[in-house]
Amino acid sequence: MTILRRHPRLLGLAAVLLAAAFLLLAAASSGKATPPDAEAMPPPDSTEDFTRSALLRREIAPAERSGPAVVIPPKPERDPCLHCHIGGEDKGLWTPLARWTLFGGMGLVFAFGVYRSASAWITRTPWKPLTLRTAEWVDERYDISGPLSKALSKPVPRFALRWWYCLGGITAFLFVMQAATGIMLAFYYKPTPEAAYTSIQFIESEVRFGAAVRAIHHWAANGMILMCTAHMLRVFIMGAYKKPRELNWISGVFLLVITLVFGFTGYLLAWDQRAFWATTVGTEIAGSIPIIGDLALVFLRVGWDVAALTLSRFYGLHVIVLPIATLAFMGAHFLMIRRLGIAKPL
Amino acid sequence: MPESKTLDQQDTIPFYPDHASTEIKVMVAMTVIAVIIGVIGLLDPVGLGPPADPMDTPAHVKPEWYFLALYQLLKYIPKTAGVIIPIVLLGLIMFWPFLDRKPDASRRPQRVRFAVIAAGMLILIALTIWGEVS
Repeated sequence: MTILRRHPRLLGLAAVLLAAAFLLLAAASSGKATPPDAEAMPPPDSTEDFTRSALLRREIAPAERSGPAVVIPPKPERDPCLHCHIGGEDKGLWTPLARWTLFGGMGLVFAFGVYRSASAWITRTPWKPLTLRTAEWVDERYDISGPLSKALSKPVPRFALRWWYCLGGITAFLFVMQAATGIMLAFYYKPTPEAAYTSIQFIESEVRFGAAVRAIHHWAANGMILMCTAHMLRVFIMGAYKKPRELNWISGVFLLVITLVFGFTGYLLAWDQRAFWATTVGTEIAGSIPIIGDLALVFLRVGWDVAALTLSRFYGLHVIVLPIATLAFMGAHFLMIRRLGIAKPL
Repeated sequence: MPESKTLDQQDTIPFYPDHASTEIKVMVAMTVIAVIIGVIGLLDPVGLGPPADPMDTPAHVKPEWYFLALYQLLKYIPKTAGVIIPIVLLGLIMFWPFLDRKPDASRRPQRVRFAVIAAGMLILIALTIWGEVS
């Protein structure tokens, strides 16, 4: 096949030669106008038809053989074209010429088509899946592969291949998990004192996998606080907060505080006795800060008591303000890590 | 200058695919843990206490475990001091990189920091447990 691949024209030539050989063979075999077994027949009679078809017809109706000399015209019970081929009747010059020209021409067109298809297949551009084509279409316009390959080829120092360097990443992953499960819970949760408790009962008993989603959200929240603290302790002990990473540390402290506020605001949303009184006590502690205590208390409770507005405020903080703040600080945190690299231990 | 720019080829591994595969394994492991928690949650839901009632103060009011240490502390010291201490501590933590600016020359400062952290965490855990059982 390699020779055909190198010279695609040879394939076409072979196809044409093959077609020509077939033509010759067919012409030679159809040249015999008389049937080969005509000699075995009885001697010709002037009144009888001795063509092959007539003899065949006569054998089908043997009673006629000894009958009168009058030949009953046969019924045209067979395909006349096939009949003429089998009988080898003389159709003259123009009918076979026209047929050979027509069918031979069609054969040549077919051979040419085979040749073109073969050469198009051999010289084709490699096939690409639709996903790759789409990626190339986007990349051609927005040049994503350049920055992406630069980001992916960034080397990771060997000293960072220890499990305690995972803690920050685990925290980030847990945040993503919290976002996903939190959105699912927000579809069903109602932040009013009348409906909050029953909507959570609805999530746990009626919503499909609602109890699973709530359990994941509950435990991942605790895990996030643990991992956040563990990451912070690791950075502190190893001294990774020192120059030039001061702002990294500060953004991390902000993220820890935001995570704790996440926990504090999320705890109230269940609106059961424990949540209500924990929030009452928690906001009371905030209210005992000197000078700004009352302001903080009123800001958190939206009034002097934990009530409907407290719940909607905590809900707004929990699902809108804190996620946006987390994303902002996280983005800054990650960009600074990319810029500075991982701190080298002693 | 960032250290990573001065690292040799031998001191690093490529992020993709060498390190990315490790990260994906960690993510898959965490997803598996989440699914296990979800299945346990289906069988035994997290649940709710009795509904909130502002008229009925329960005998033992407790915050979440991560505020329990502070809550326990506030029971035994004056309220103002108990509020100021965490705020000052947070401010100290926040600006610690500007207070401790000497680069580590040996392992000694690390050990000192580790000891401080260990002591602090022991106090914190003790307060939390005390708050939980009291």
